[in-house]
Amino acid sequence: MAATIASLLKPWTPRLCPVRWSRYNPYYLEPEPRREAYAAPEAELTPEERELKTTRSIKAARANDNSSPYNDPIISKFINMMMQDGNKILAREIMTQTLEAIKRKQVEKYHSGPAAEREGIECNPYAIFHQAIENCRPVIGLTSVQKGGRSYQVPISLTDSRRRFLAMKWMITECRDNKHRRTHMYEKLSQELLAAFANEGNVIKRKHDFHKMAEANRAYAHFRWW
Amino acid sequence: TMLKSTFTLLSWQQQVGQYYTIPSAQLKKAFPNGLPRRFQMQIKTFNEACVMVRQPGLELISYLKRADYAKPALRYILFGEVGCGKTMSLCHTLHFCSTQGWLVLHVPDAHLWVKNCKELLPSSSRPTRLDQPIEASQWLKNFKITNEHFLSKQIKTTRRYIWTKRESTEEGRPLGEMVDHGMSRVKSSSDVVGALLRELRLQAGGATEDAFRLAVAVDGVNALWGKTSLKKEDKSPVSPDDLTLIHNLKKMLRNDWCGGAILTTLSQTGSLFKPRSAYLPTELLGEEGFDNMDPFVPIPVSNYSDKEFESCYLYYMDRNWLQHPHSRTEEGRKELLFLSSRNPSILERLCSFL
Repeated sequence: MAATIASLLKPWTPRLCPVRWSRYNPYYLEPEPRREAYAAPEAELTPEERELKTTRSIKAARANDNSSPYNDPIISKFINMMMQDGNKILAREIMTQTLEAIKRKQVEKYHSGPAAEREGIECNPYAIFHQAIENCRPVIGLTSVQKGGRSYQVPISLTDSRRRFLAMKWMITECRDNKHRRTHMYEKLSQELLAAFANEGNVIKRKHDFHKMAEANRAYAHFRWW
Repeated sequence: TMLKSTFTLLSWQQQVGQYYTIPSAQLKKAFPNGLPRRFQMQIKTFNEACVMVRQPGLELISYLKRADYAKPALRYILFGEVGCGKTMSLCHTLHFCSTQGWLVLHVPDAHLWVKNCKELLPSSSRPTRLDQPIEASQWLKNFKITNEHFLSKQIKTTRRYIWTKRESTEEGRPLGEMVDHGMSRVKSSSDVVGALLRELRLQAGGATEDAFRLAVAVDGVNALWGKTSLKKEDKSPVSPDDLTLIHNLKKMLRNDWCGGAILTTLSQTGSLFKPRSAYLPTELLGEEGFDNMDPFVPIPVSNYSDKEFESCYLYYMDRNWLQHPHSRTEEGRKELLFLSSRNPSILERLCSFL
C-alpha cells in the first residue's frame, strides 16, 4: 500500500481532463479546519498519526472554510449554489439576510404570543434551515436507462450528496422563478424555508411529485442492473 | 449587570450600561420618524423599545439641566466613528427633553433634504430659491404628531403671513392652523416651515407663564454645508443655500435666540462626497460649516466599553436573540467581541444572523 501511494508522487496528470473537478493528485489529503483535531499534544499521537502529519501532503484549504464553530458546511454549500458570476459577497449577504429574516419572524411570534406557546416556537434559524432542507430531500429518484433502443425512466436510490443537492437546487429555483418579481431574494427564501420547515409549500409539493413519478414508474425497476 | 426600568431622571454614573424602556405610547408620539431603521426593526421584533444609557447621552442631559436659558442657545455636536451610537444618544436626549415638556424640533436626517429629491419647485416667495414640497409636508406632519399640545393651544403667530394671492394666516392665530395649512397646501409648505421656525425662534423662552423651551435637533448637520446631488433644470448644480428648507434651518442654528438648546449630530453615512474615514467636525463640516457652528460643545461618542458590551450581550441573551449555540458560550462571546471590535452597529448586525 505504501508503495502504490508513494508511486503517485511522480509527476502525475489525471487520466480525464477535469474542468470543474479538483485537479489534485489522489495522494493529497483533505484539510481539517476544526480546532479540536489539533488539540491533542505531540506526545499522545500514535506512530501512524505522527507519520500522517509529517509525511503526507495536504490540499490547500478553501477560502470560506474557517476554524470557527460558526462555520457550517451545509450553509457554505448553499451559498455556493446561490452564487452567480462568482459574486460570493452578494450570495453571503443574501444568506445572512435570510437567516436574520427567519429569526426576526420567529422571535416576533415568540414575544408577542402567549407564554404557553413559547416552548413550541423554534427560533434558531440554523435549526430551521437544516430541518427545512431535510424535509425537502427526495428519498428515491429517477434515471434514464437505454434498453432495446428506447430509454426508460427507472427509479433508483440516490446518494446522500445527490439528495442534498436536489433539495437545495429546488429551493433556489423555486425562489428565483415562481415568486413575485419585486420581492427580495431573502424574503422569498425565508418564506419558503419556513413553509418547508412546516412541511408545506411549493418545494415540498415538488418533492412529493417527484416521489409520485418514481412510484408510477415502479414497473421498470427491474431494468436496474446495479 | 443589566437592569431594565421605566424612565426616571438619569444622571448618575452607575447607570451607564443599563437599559431603560420607552413606553410605546410615548414612542409613537416622540419619534414618528426619528429612530434609525434597524432600531425600528428591533422594536418591532422584541415588542419593546430599550435604549442603552451611555456616557455621551448622560453628559448631554447633564449639560441641558445645568444650562442657563436666559442666555443664547448653546450648540452641542455629537461626533464619532461610523456606527458608534450618535443618533441613538440624540434620541435618548430628545426623549428626556420631551418628558420635561420641551418643544422638540427634530430633523431626523438632514441628508435626505439634499439628495434624491423627486420634485424641486422654484420658490413662490423668492425667485432664486428652490422648494421641496414633499419633504416639507412630510416633516410638518411629523412635527404635528410630536408637538400636538403646543400647536393647538399655546403659541400664536406674531404677524400676518401671506402665502399666495388668496391665502394668508392672520396675526394671533394658533400655530396649529399654519401647520395645517402647510400640510394641505403642499406648494407653500416650505414657506410654512420657514415661518414656523421664525415664530418658534421669537417665542421660545419668554418670561411668561406658558413659556416653553425649544430643543432643535438636527441629525447629519454636515449636510447643510456640504454639496447637494440635486440639479436645476439647466443641469447646473444646486448649492444648499438655494434650498428654502436648508436656508431656514441654518438661520435656526445660529445662536442669536434664547430659551433652548441646539443638539446636532455629524453623520458620514448619508453624506455626499465625503470619505468613509472622516468623522471629526473639521473634516465633515468643512471650513464654512465649522465657522458657522463655532463656538459649540463637542461630545465624542466612542465604541462600547467592556461593561457596555457585556450589557448588550446580556440583553440579547435575555431577549432570546442570540440563537447559535456557540454564541451562548464564553468563547463565542469573545469571538463576537473580536469580530465587532466593540462597534455597536457591527455587533448588532452580527448578532442578527447568529
